[in-house]
Amino acid sequence: MGAVDIGAGSGRRVKKGGVKKPKRVGFVLDMTPLVDIAFLLLTFFMFATTMAHPQIMEMRIPPDIKTEIQVNADNMLVLYVAEDGDYYYRVGVDTTFQSLESNKLRDFSVARNSEKGNDLVLSLKLHPNAKYESLIVALDELNKAEAILTRQYPSEKNSERERKFSIQPLDSLEQYRLEQL
Amino acid sequence: MAIHKPKRLGFKLDMTPLVDIAFLLLTFFMFTTKFKSAAESEQKFTIKRPVATADTTKLPEVGTAIVKIAIDETGDTAYWFSITNEVDRESVYNKAELPDSIRSKALIPIGKDSVMLARLILATRFHDSDKREKDSASFQPTQFAIDADKDIDFAVIDQLMNVMRSQGATIFNFITVDQSEG
Repeated sequence: MGAVDIGAGSGRRVKKGGVKKPKRVGFVLDMTPLVDIAFLLLTFFMFATTMAHPQIMEMRIPPDIKTEIQVNADNMLVLYVAEDGDYYYRVGVDTTFQSLESNKLRDFSVARNSEKGNDLVLSLKLHPNAKYESLIVALDELNKAEAILTRQYPSEKNSERERKFSIQPLDSLEQYRLEQL
Repeated sequence: MAIHKPKRLGFKLDMTPLVDIAFLLLTFFMFTTKFKSAAESEQKFTIKRPVATADTTKLPEVGTAIVKIAIDETGDTAYWFSITNEVDRESVYNKAELPDSIRSKALIPIGKDSVMLARLILATRFHDSDKREKDSASFQPTQFAIDADKDIDFAVIDQLMNVMRSQGATIFNFITVDQSEG
């Protein structure tokens, strides 16, 4: 551990009759065990640490989905996610399913919402066999679009942005049609 | 003639900067390390979380009720339920009237029993209501979170959302990982 250095290295002789100076006592600390322990602990904590702390995406669902609400058909936009994760959409009463490229979802949502303002009602419907990942990807893109819309809304319309969005169940006919595409 | 011995040259390495850095790193890792919770150490399955855009909203370490959905050892999709706070956990288990065999667990295996899942969600809400009655000033509601494997079918998520809706848990979180880490 610690060692006392008696300072023998100085080798200076004290003159006869002079005042005797006290010997300088140095102190050398052997830091090796300390470093050993420090590195041991460091290695342990480095391996035990996980940097990927999960994050959360908040979701609010309506308490009741049975009550029917009258909505202007022109303001309805239904976004479908097929089994393989492909996007399709349908506007208002038009029954044709139109394809949408997966990387265009954000721009598409921004464009449609900007057109209709707060009146657009967006429903997201997923095929029962679609993967959970597809839901998260779609929600993530729609959330990013919402952030853009919230930023640009007050300056254009001088009012606050109100999002009208819900995840809805796919009915049998829609499921059948989606599978045919 | 006397042989002149060469002077022995000693070698001294100043370890101070090395020790400084080692301790700096050690301190950093000691403060950032998060050890596995009781529920996580009981978890025998792995969940591949879906990737989303980096968000500052992190999963709270306390006050969360997590519903996990993953593929179990038999290859079936199953539910698990856990409460992060130990004190809350006991109260919720009592309210849900769980059988003694699973009461000691931090991660409750539910299988596909949606009735049991509904009971646990409702028990959590009852527990919250009691907590609010006792101390409304410092009351923090339990947050519900869904921790599902990215390859799970949407039908299972939809079923869970319906169960949560039926028990009045209409605000919840999907657990994801940051794009850069996923």
